Amino acid sequence: MADRKGQGDAVPTRPRFAHQSEAEFARLLDFYGIRWEYEPRSFPLQWDDHGRAVESFNPDFYLPEIDLYIELTTLKQNLVTKKNRKLRRLRELYPDIRVKIFYGRDYRSLLLKYGLAKPAVRSPSV
Amino acid sequence: MVLADDIARVLFTEAQIQGRIRALAAQISRDYAGTAPLLVSVLKGALYFMADLSRAITLPITIDFMAITSYGDETASTGAVRLIKDLDEKITGRHVLLVEDIIDTGLTADYLLRTLRARDPTSLNICTLLDKTARRIVDTLPIQYRGFEIPDEFVVGYGLDHRQLYRNLPFIGVLKSEVVSAPR
Repeated sequence: MADRKGQGDAVPTRPRFAHQSEAEFARLLDFYGIRWEYEPRSFPLQWDDHGRAVESFNPDFYLPEIDLYIELTTLKQNLVTKKNRKLRRLRELYPDIRVKIFYGRDYRSLLLKYGLAKPAVRSPSV
Repeated sequence: MVLADDIARVLFTEAQIQGRIRALAAQISRDYAGTAPLLVSVLKGALYFMADLSRAITLPITIDFMAITSYGDETASTGAVRLIKDLDEKITGRHVLLVEDIIDTGLTADYLLRTLRARDPTSLNICTLLDKTARRIVDTLPIQYRGFEIPDEFVVGYGLDHRQLYRNLPFIGVLKSEVVSAPR
């Protein structure tokens, strides 16, 4: 079930972003007038014997006009592998859900494109 | 300073670019036969592409230009895209082809499409010289014509810039990484 935390353009207050990269990404979307929701939905991936979700995937953003979920990850490579596994599982269980992952390299090059990259950007742990 | 010294490798030569533009123009001339489309381009990146493409199209076209602020611009302090230059032409009831130098995230093109669609053109499509899909966010764009698909690298030349430089290179090349990340 959707766990709505934040919604771009729809509420006057900004959600509490877990990381600076997410806040920057939200500003980018706002700039170009793209509506977004922040972590609006949790997708269970594994359940225990009682049917309780023990693992889930919470994409960072949902863009309702494009019907696309976006996950930003600036993790180190060993942690990216775990996230990729969760993403594969998500696609198996929810084939109609469109989700795109932005890796650290993608995000870094995005910042470079807009001239926002700083010489020593600390990698957030998302 | 020689601009070409900052290029790691040439991605498309001048001849390759011109050859692809002729093919695009021939296709556009066929598809829009019997109409007089309006080619709309965005300053400044698509300047050379617009000039060469429009001259290779054999139809009676008109051309117009827009300019908008970009995210990260020092001038973009309002937090939203600002139209620096609007079209001179009315586009209601016209066949409009948006001519782009590159589509990357798709955010700029999506903004322009929304702006143009609100003016009720008969048709609205996109012709882009370069299509970089690796970081695409808006993946629902009506890209009818594309010159080249490119990898996720920082490219300059033939209108594409880095900090307003390199636009006048006649080819498209990958900028050296140390140049891309050098402090301003």
